[in-house]
Parts: sequence; structure tokens; C-alpha cells
Amino acid sequence: MALNLFAIAILASLANFSTMTIQSEFVRVIELFQLPFMHRALMGSVLTGFMGGLMGSFTILRQLSFFSDTLGHSALLGISIGFLLGLDPGLVLLPFAVLFALGVTYFLERTRLWTDALLNIVYSSSLAIGIILLSFRDDYKGGITHLLFGDILAMQTTDLIFSGVLLVVCAIFIGLTLRSQILLTLHEPMAIARGVSVSAQRTAFIVLLSLVVGISIKAIGVLLISAFVVIPACAARLLSNTFVQYILISAGLGALGAAIGMMVSAFFDLPSGPSIVTVQLVIFLLAMLAPNTRKLAL
Amino acid sequence: MSDPVLVVKGLTVYRETHAAVQNVSFTVPAGMDTAIVGPNGAGKSTLIQTILGILPRRSGEVFVLGQPLSPKGKLPAAVRQQIAYLPQNFLFDRRIPITVSEFVGLGWDRLGLQLPWTGGRTRRHAVQQALTQVDAWHLSHKLVSALSGGELKRVLLAYCLVRPRRLLILDEAPAGLDVRNESEFYRLLHQLKKDQDWAILQVSHDLDMVRRSCDRVLCINRTLLCQGTPDHSLTPENLSLAYGPEFVRYRHSC
Repeated sequence: MALNLFAIAILASLANFSTMTIQSEFVRVIELFQLPFMHRALMGSVLTGFMGGLMGSFTILRQLSFFSDTLGHSALLGISIGFLLGLDPGLVLLPFAVLFALGVTYFLERTRLWTDALLNIVYSSSLAIGIILLSFRDDYKGGITHLLFGDILAMQTTDLIFSGVLLVVCAIFIGLTLRSQILLTLHEPMAIARGVSVSAQRTAFIVLLSLVVGISIKAIGVLLISAFVVIPACAARLLSNTFVQYILISAGLGALGAAIGMMVSAFFDLPSGPSIVTVQLVIFLLAMLAPNTRKLAL
Repeated sequence: MSDPVLVVKGLTVYRETHAAVQNVSFTVPAGMDTAIVGPNGAGKSTLIQTILGILPRRSGEVFVLGQPLSPKGKLPAAVRQQIAYLPQNFLFDRRIPITVSEFVGLGWDRLGLQLPWTGGRTRRHAVQQALTQVDAWHLSHKLVSALSGGELKRVLLAYCLVRPRRLLILDEAPAGLDVRNESEFYRLLHQLKKDQDWAILQVSHDLDMVRRSCDRVLCINRTLLCQGTPDHSLTPENLSLAYGPEFVRYRHSC
């Protein structure tokens, strides 16, 4: 009897305790949402997520997933060069990303080895050199984790403005050249026969993709950026029945995954890149379970 | 007679270090069906891909509908609209999610900068008509990757048909079809050619089909060996020049 009472007392206090924690957690969440950095992080993640999904839809179909991975890894090299030159890495990163992307494209077109092997050389060596350069800067060793896995605090107002502008540019570009992009993705010679300028379209796409990667890298991190571009598009492919649907779902899932991931990161105090990619993975797994996708998924 | 739709003068194309096509000249008259025959590796596909600006040329001139093909392979957009090209084996990544009507719609588009909703009802109507003409309207919502070989060829014809064209360039278009589907494909092609007044330039391996239904034939083995009507050109002597004497003995013994 006494034992029973004791057990009940313990349970009651436990229940009381957990109500209190839920309440205090709730307050914490509300407070978190009122912080300016959280506003910026959420807005930034929606903007970059939308862009990532939009560009990602064509990236995976053109088998450029590994290319985007290479761009991500090379960003570290760009950041470290910025540090060495004593410049703001944020300023160096975007022009570096574009030049690097064009350089790698030129290199791939001129070399007759396997594309994935060449990209492997490029991305590992740029990562290696980037880390070595960073190690010369003693004060930056602690910051490497943020570069590798993203930092929720890194989203500044200028980044938001730039993301907004870039999103508009990407949307206009994809919108105005949509039909050419689709035919080019489907069958290159048929697109040329219809007068599509393949090299101009390809260069424009790669420049935009490198800018999207460059701007998203602060929040996602060097190592996970390609997943950020690739996963929403793969999930969208499982859920879509037409090409236009596919592009729109990919962009939508990109934004959704980034927003939820950013909240998860804030609430549980986790690094933002891994949180976003994990949420994207959950979305992808749910898409695999959707009823009409089994043929593709399995 | 109206001007020829295609004029090729002294065309030479190099692949790597050797000439794949050497000093080839011919014209394709309006409304005529011209076949290119020759053995494997004779440069037939190279020839038509150069005419379309897909491959660069070493020397020579190409005029499509009176307009010169620039050295970089450019043609005015208005000319591009009037030609359609079907490659040898329409190989594409089957994971690309595109429906039949989306694909045929691409045949209608001008492919410059345009708003994604350009065309609207006119475009939809043209797609519906083209698909109906090749008896494939019921496939319009299917993914292109889900089509059978015969269905895919009909849809490709709808892609050519969706806008009025003057010149069709086909690279072994019925490749991969069985005998029944192949004859069905040719029946449809010739029917459409009559209705649409297409000029056709097609690479073919089917000499019997060429004899039966083409107006002109070009025999090619790197250089142009002969040209003229099938009866006049497909003589044992010319075939022996193009394919080698073994081939002619084999065909005659059949």
C-alpha cells in the first residue's frame, strides 16, 4: 500500500515536471521566433531552398549532381583564399564559385577521361588545399565546423537580399528558356537541330547553379550542399507525372525542407546543414512510400 | 518548280583526323523524298548532322530554304521552325518525367526566349491535332518513357507534324521496329508527306523501301558515288561501288 502511494507520488511529480518542461520549451520556441536572426535564417532558408529545388530539378536530369558537389567543396578553397588575401570571404566566394565552375566545365570538355573521376580529382584537391590554407590561420580553426556544416547565424541581411535577387533571376531564366531547357535535357542533337544554342544555355545554367551553391553554402555547409540541391529533385521525381509538375514540386520541397530543417536546427541547437538535409531525407523517404511511385523507387 | 529546300555544295567533314564526308554536293527538291544509302561508316549520319549544324564542317556550303548555314552551324529561327529532325534511335534518359503532350508541344515551340505559358490554347490545339493524325491522342497523358517502340515512333511523327514544316530529316527513323510496325511507320510517313507536302531527306538501310517509295537516292561512301532516281541509281554497279562486290552477289543470290 505504502509502496503504491509512493509510486503514485513519483508518477505525479514526473507528470508535473514534464508539463513544466513542455511549457518552458513552448516559451523558448516563441521567444526564438521573435529573434531577428531566426527571421533571417527562416527567410534565407526558404529562398535558398526554393532556388536549390528549382535548379536541382535540371541538375539531376543533366547528371550534374556530382558537379554541384564539386562546386560545394571548392567553395572552401574560395573562402580560404579570401582569408589569405585579407578579404571578406563572403565577397570572394561568389565570383570564385562562378570562375571555378566555368574553369571546371572547360577542363571537362577538353579532357577525355571519365567525368566523375575528373570531378573527384577537382573536389578532393580543392578541399585539401582549402583546409591547408585555413590551417595557416590559427584564429579560424574553430570556425571550420561552421564552414563544413553550415551556420544558422551566418545569414545576414545582405545575403537575404542577394538570395532574393538570385531567386528572381533563376525563376526568370528557367521560365523564359523552359521549353529549350526541356528539349536540351531530353535530346541534345534534336535541340541543336531546332536552333537551341547549347553552349550558351549550358554556360548560363552553370553560372546560375554556381551562384546558388555559393549563396546557400553559409547555411548548409561545404560538405552537404549538393544533397541540398539533389534530394528535393529526387523526391519530386517520385511524386510527379509531368515535367512542369516535377519542377514546381522540386522547388516547393526544397523550400519546405529548408524551412523545417532550419526550425529543427534552432529548437534543438543542431548545426543547420545536417538538420536541413536530414529533413529533406525524411521527405524523400515519405515520397518513396507514396502509392504511385513504387515502380521508380524500387 | 519551286526552289530546292536544301542545297549542299562541296561539303567536307572531318571526324578526328580523317575525312568522314568528302566533297559532297547535292540538292533536295521541294516535296520529294530523297534517300541516302551506303554502308556502315560511310558518313551518312555525319552528313545529315552537319547539314543540321550539329557537327562542324571543314569546308563547303549548305543552304536550307535558301538561307546559308553559318560556319558555326547557325540558321535563322524562321528556317529552324520549318525543319524537323528525327535521330537514329531516339535514345533518352527514361527517368526524365515528360508526358507525350508535353513532348509534342516542344515541336510547336519556337524555342527562343518565351514565357512558359506562350501559345496556350493554340498550342494545345495543335498538339491535339497532331496526335490525332498519328492516332496517338489517347497516349497524350502517358509518360514518353512508358511508350512501346511503335507508339514512340508515332509520337515522334506528331512532334514533326505539330507545326507546318518544309523539310524532314530522318536518320534511319524506323530503326528498332519489327517488320509490321516498320511498314506501318512508312505507310504513315508517306501519307503525311503527301498531306503536308514535306520534302524528306532520310538515311536508310532498306533498299527495297527506297526502290518502292523514294523519288531520289544518293549513294554515299565518304564521297557521293551516284545520285538520281532509284531505278537509275541502284544498279548492281553502283551498289558494288558503295557496298563492295560481295554485297551485290549476296543480294542477287537471295
